[in-house]
Amino acid sequence: MRYFVRKIAFFLATLWAAITLNFIIPRLQPGDPAEVMVQKLAGKDAQLNPAAVQAMRAMLGAPDGNLFTQYVSYLGALAHGDFGISYTYYPYPVTEVIGQALPWTLVLVGVTQILAFVIGITLGAYAAWRRNTRFDSIVTLGSTFIGTLPSFWIALLLLFVFGYTVGWFPTSGGYSASTPGFNGPFITEAVSHSFLPALSLLITAPIGWILGMRNTMVMNLGEDYIRLAKAKGLPDRVVALRYAARNALLPSVTGFAIALGGVLGGSILVEQIYDYPGMGRLMGEAIGNRDFPLLQTLLLFIIVGVLLANLVADLLYGVLDPRARRAQS
Amino acid sequence: MTAGIVQTGSEERPGDATDERGEGDAGYSQQRWWQLLWSNTKARVGIILLLAFILIATFAPLIAPYEGTRSDFDALLPVSGDHLLGTTSQGADIFSQLVYGSRVSLLVGLFGGLVSTAIALVIGMWSGYKEGTVIDDILSFITNVAIVVPVLPLMIVLIAYSEVRGIPLIVFVIGITSWAGHARAKRSQIITLRNRDFVTAAKFAGEGSGRIIFREIMPSMTSLVAAGFVGASTGAIGAEAGLSFLGLGDPNSISWGTMLYQADSQGAVGQGLWAWVLAPGLILALLITSLTFINFGVDLLSNPHLREDS
Amino acid sequence: MTTTDATTAAATTESVPTSQTLAADTRRNSHPLLRVRDLSVRFEPKMSPALTAVDKVSFDLLEGEFVGLIGESGSGKSTLAMALLSLLERPGRISNGSIEFDGEDIASMSQEDLRHRRWRDIATVFQSSMNSLNPVMRVEAQFRDAIEEHSELRGDAVTERVRELFSMVMIDEKFMSAYPHELSGGMKQRINLALALCNRPRFVLLDEPTTGLDVVVQRSILEAVRRLQKEQGFAVLFISHDIGTVMELSDRIFVMYAGQLVEQQAATTLVKDPLHPYSKGLLGSYSNPRADTVRVTYIPGRPPDLTRPISGCRFAARCPEAIERCSSDEPQLLPLAGGRVACHVAHLQRGPSEDKPDGLPEQTTRFAGPEFVKTAEDSDRARRGEVFLEVDSVTKVFERRRGLRKQQTLAVDDVSFALRKGEVTALVGQSGSGKTTLARMITGVDKPSSGTIRFTGSEGTIAVEKLRTRQLRDYRKHVQMVFQDPYSSLNPALTLRYTLTRPLRNHRGLSAQEADAVAGELMETVALTPSNRFLDRYPHELSGGQRQRVVIARALAANPELIVADEPISSLDVSIRAEVLELLQELVTGHDIGVLYITHDLLSARLLADEILVLSQGRVVEQGNALEVIRNPQDAYTRTLLDAIPNPFEQATTTS
Repeated sequence: MRYFVRKIAFFLATLWAAITLNFIIPRLQPGDPAEVMVQKLAGKDAQLNPAAVQAMRAMLGAPDGNLFTQYVSYLGALAHGDFGISYTYYPYPVTEVIGQALPWTLVLVGVTQILAFVIGITLGAYAAWRRNTRFDSIVTLGSTFIGTLPSFWIALLLLFVFGYTVGWFPTSGGYSASTPGFNGPFITEAVSHSFLPALSLLITAPIGWILGMRNTMVMNLGEDYIRLAKAKGLPDRVVALRYAARNALLPSVTGFAIALGGVLGGSILVEQIYDYPGMGRLMGEAIGNRDFPLLQTLLLFIIVGVLLANLVADLLYGVLDPRARRAQS
Repeated sequence: MTAGIVQTGSEERPGDATDERGEGDAGYSQQRWWQLLWSNTKARVGIILLLAFILIATFAPLIAPYEGTRSDFDALLPVSGDHLLGTTSQGADIFSQLVYGSRVSLLVGLFGGLVSTAIALVIGMWSGYKEGTVIDDILSFITNVAIVVPVLPLMIVLIAYSEVRGIPLIVFVIGITSWAGHARAKRSQIITLRNRDFVTAAKFAGEGSGRIIFREIMPSMTSLVAAGFVGASTGAIGAEAGLSFLGLGDPNSISWGTMLYQADSQGAVGQGLWAWVLAPGLILALLITSLTFINFGVDLLSNPHLREDS
Repeated sequence: MTTTDATTAAATTESVPTSQTLAADTRRNSHPLLRVRDLSVRFEPKMSPALTAVDKVSFDLLEGEFVGLIGESGSGKSTLAMALLSLLERPGRISNGSIEFDGEDIASMSQEDLRHRRWRDIATVFQSSMNSLNPVMRVEAQFRDAIEEHSELRGDAVTERVRELFSMVMIDEKFMSAYPHELSGGMKQRINLALALCNRPRFVLLDEPTTGLDVVVQRSILEAVRRLQKEQGFAVLFISHDIGTVMELSDRIFVMYAGQLVEQQAATTLVKDPLHPYSKGLLGSYSNPRADTVRVTYIPGRPPDLTRPISGCRFAARCPEAIERCSSDEPQLLPLAGGRVACHVAHLQRGPSEDKPDGLPEQTTRFAGPEFVKTAEDSDRARRGEVFLEVDSVTKVFERRRGLRKQQTLAVDDVSFALRKGEVTALVGQSGSGKTTLARMITGVDKPSSGTIRFTGSEGTIAVEKLRTRQLRDYRKHVQMVFQDPYSSLNPALTLRYTLTRPLRNHRGLSAQEADAVAGELMETVALTPSNRFLDRYPHELSGGQRQRVVIARALAANPELIVADEPISSLDVSIRAEVLELLQELVTGHDIGVLYITHDLLSARLLADEILVLSQGRVVEQGNALEVIRNPQDAYTRTLLDAIPNPFEQATTTS
C-alpha cells in the first residue's frame, strides 16, 4: 500500500508544481503582465483594448495584489474551472475551445501511444530473444535509422505521397461533410482523416520501446533465473514470455510518461501539417495569434494529461512488480 | 571467485588467467579511447559525417553559390546548374539555404548540448553526492518533475512569450527544459561510484574532495558525460527543427526547420515541390544519424560488455 | 572417438590416452550415469582472442555417486558445468567431445529432445542462487511450471508435492505463496534445492550453491544436501572453491586446473595421499585451527593465460616438484593408485625405480611450496604489547527515515576492547554482527552513538569519535585500511604509481621524486618485484593476490600505527590466501604495527590473530587469547561458528 500512497502523493506534488509553473511563466517578465502582454499583441503605440486587458487579467488572476494574493486568486479561479477567455475565439472561454479539440488529440495520441507500446514491446522482445540474428539486426538498425527522422518530416512525406500523389487519404481536417457525433459517416471520415497523422506518429513512436525493451531483455537474459528456467526444460515460449519479457517489461512501463510526452510533441507538429482539429493545431493558432490564455491553458492540460498517464503507469508498475509494492521504502 | 561464466553473464570469457572480473576494466586503459572509438565502424562513419558537416558549416560562403538569406531570384525555379535544387516560392536558392542551415543546427547542437549537460551535471552530481539528504530529496523531485513534463509544449510556451526570437533563446530554452534524464543518470552513477572502495581508499590516502572528484571519480564518468552530451546535442538539433517548423525559430537566419516551415506554409507539398520538402529533412536526418552513430561508439567506451555484443 | 568397444579397451595399455582406459573402468564399475569424453569448450569472442576454457575433459559419474569438483577461479569448473547442462551461451560452445547421459549423447541431441530430459533427469542449483528465482513470480508457481512440464501432476496434486518439498528442506509452507524478495538468502537457497529435487532427478549439479552465505547457513544447507542425497540416491556433481566442504561431502573428487582435470581420486584417499602437486597445494590451504601448530601452504603465481599455446604441463610454472620433462611433455590423465592423475612426477615417483630420472623430487603428501606456520608459542605471546587504542562502551544506533517514522537498529551494543602494538586482534562474526560498523567507527568513517574511542599515537591521545573532517585526515596518518575486495578498492583508471604516491605525498609530505622512490620500496616490501615493472601498470594487469598486495602497500605508505583489514582474504582464491596472511603477519612483527583483522573465518583468525573477539548481534560474546578461544570456546555462538568449519582432515589425522 505504501507504494501506491507514495505514487499518488508524487502525482499530487507534480500536479501542484505544474500549476505553479503555469502561474510563474507569464510573470517572468517585468511590469503588469496583462498590460505588457496586450502591448505586445497590439504593438507599442496602439491603444490598450480594455477587453483584451480583461481577457488577460482573467488568465493572470488579480495582477494588482502582491504575488501571493495573485497566486491565491489564480488557484481559486482554477478550482472553479475558470481558465480565462480565448483571444482567438473571443468571447469563448478557453475551456470550451479546448473542449472541442481535446477528443481529437486524445484519440490520435492515445491510439498511437498504445499501438506504439504494443508494437515496440513485441518487436523489442522478439529481437532480444533472437539476438544476433538477421531479424535482430534488421530491427535494431532499422529502428536506429528511422529514429533519426523527424516525425513532422515523415508527416510531410506521407502527405505528399498518400495525400496528394496517390490520393488515398484526405489531406487536411478531421472530417468533411458529416455532422460530428456518434454516427457512421462521421466515424468513417474521422478515421480516414486521422489515418495519415496517426501513421506519421506511429512510424517513429515505437522505436524507443523497441530499443529499450531489447536492451533490458538482452540484459535480463543473462540473469540466473532465465538460465534456471532453461535448465528446468520449460518451452522457449514460456521462458521468453513468462520469465524474460515479463521482467524486461518493467522498466518500459516506467518510461511511459516520457514516451507520451514525445508523442504529444510530435502530434503538435503533425496536427499543423494535416490541419487536424486537435490541441496541437490549436497551439499553433495560439502561437500565431499570441493568444496567451489559450496557450497557457493548453500547456496545463497537456502536462496534467501526461501526469495522469504517468500515475496510471506507476500504479500499474506497482501491480506488475511485487518488489515495488513492499520492499521499497 | 569462480569462473566468470555464471557470475557475469554469457559474454565474459572464463579461464582467462586469474581475474575475469578485472576484464571489464581491461579494455579501456589498454586501448586509448579514440582508438576504441575509431575501431567501431558505426562510430567512424559518424565521426566522418560530423566532420563533413562541420567543414560545410565553416566554409558555407565558399560552398554555397549564394547568400543563404538572399531571396531575389525568380520564384520556384526548377533544378538547374544555377540552382542545384531550384528556388523557393520566395525566390531563395534551396541549395544555399541547406548549406547555411547546417550552421544553425550545429550551433544549437553544440550550445544546447553544452547548457543541458552542464545543468544535468550540476544537479545530478550534487544530488548524488548529497544522497539521502533533504537537498537530494528536493533535487530529485525537481528532476522527476522535469522528466515527466513534456518538453516540446513547454519550450513552445516559453519561446512564445519572448519578444526577441533567435538562436540564443532557442539554446537557452532547450538547455533548461531537457536536462532531466541525464541528471538522473548522473545521480545514480555518482552514487555507485561514491560507494566504491577506491573512493574510501582515496580518503584514507589523505586526498581532498576536489582531487577525489576530479581524479578518482570523473575519469570513470567521462564516457557517460560524453554520451549525455552527444545525446543532448541530438535532442537539441531535433528540437530546434521542430520549433522552427512552428515558426518559432530565428527569423533572421536560415535553418532546416525554417525551410520546412516555409515549405509547409507555402503549400510546397500540395504543389509537388519535392526538393524543397525532401532535402532539409534528409540532411537533418543525416546529421542526427551521424551523432547517433558516434554515441554507439561512446556507449562502447562506458560499457565494455557491449563490445562483445555488436 | 568416444565409443570404444570392450575388446579394444581390454587390449590397451596404460600409455594410451584417456577414452579407452576410461572405458575399461566403466566395464569394471556399473554402468555410468554420466559419461563424458574429450569434452572441450571453446570461447571465440569477436573482439578478444579465443580460448579453450575446458580442454578434453573425460570422466564417468556413477548412479548415486557424490563427486566434488575443485579448482581455483578461472579453472573452468563453472564452464564445464554449463556445458554439462547444455546451457553454454555465445561466444562459448562445445567444440569437441561427447556427454552421454544414461547412454545417450546430450551434447548432440536436439534442444527439443533435450528439453524433455531436463529437470526430470538433470537438475541444478546455481551459484549465487540469490537470483535464480524469477522476482515477479510466486515461489509456488515456479515449482508448478517445472512439475507440470515434466509430470502428470496437476492442480492440487502439484500444491501437495510442493508442500512435501518444502518440508523436505524444512521451510514453512506459508512461504509457498511468497515472492523471492521476501525470502532470506538461506531460504532461497533451500528452496532452490527443493526446486531441483521436484521431479526426483537422477543427477543434480550443484555449482557453488552456498557462495555468499553465512558459514552457519552454509553448513545447514550442505547438511540438507547430503541428507537428501542419501535418502533419494541421486548423483551429485558438487562444484565449489570451498575445498574443505567438498572433501567432507564427496565420495570422489575431481581436481581441475586451467581447463583440464588433473586428478580424480576417492575423497578419503585424496586427503591422505594427494597425487598431483596442485591437489596438494589446494589441500594445503586447509588445516585444523585447533591444532598446536597450524601450517597452511599457498601456491605462488597465477594460472596460465589460456589464449596462448601452452607446451608441457600447465601447472609446471607454479609447481615446486616440476622436472625437466614437465615443461615439454603434456601429461595425460592416467590411472595411478586407485585414481587418476595427470602428472609426470607422481607417476615416476610411484613407478619402478629404474625409470626414475635424476633430480626427481621426494614423494610427499604435503605441498612442497611456501608455507605459513603458526605455533602455539606464537599464540602465547598475545596481550603483551602496549595498548594504543581503547574502545570503551561503544554503541551505534542507525536511524533510518521511513516516511515520517524513524526506524532504529542497534548495530553495535556496548562494546569495549583494546588494541596492542605489534599484535593482531581479530573481530570474528557473521554478516550483520556489527564488525564492519565497529571498523568504520575506529577508522573515523562513522561516529559512535555513545561511548569513546581513544587512540594514543606518536602525537598524543586522540578522541576519535570527536574528529572533524580536517583532523580526520591527520588521524589517517596513523590508521589505514585494507579492503575486502581488491578489485574495487583500486581505481581501474589510475596506475599503481599514482595510487601509491598519493598517500606518501599527502601524509608524509614527500616530494614527487621522493615519493616515487619510496613507492618503489613499498612494492619491494610487498614482494612485487622488480618494482619498476609494476609501478606503471594498471590494476587489471594484476592478479587478485597481487592487487591485495598493492592495497597493503598503500596502507603501509602512511607509516600507520594501526591497519584495519576488513576481510582481506575472503575474495581471494583459497590457494593464495595464506600468501596475503603471511604478508600481514610480517608487517606486524617487522613494523610493530597493530592490526585489527575483521573476518567471518575462525581458521584465518587463528592463523593471524593473537586475540579474538567474537561478535554476535552487535555484542561481544567471547574474548580472549586466540588459541584459547578456539580450543575452549565458552559461548554457544562461538561453538556454532567452530562447528561450521569443515574438517576433512579429522579422519585423516586420527588414522595416521
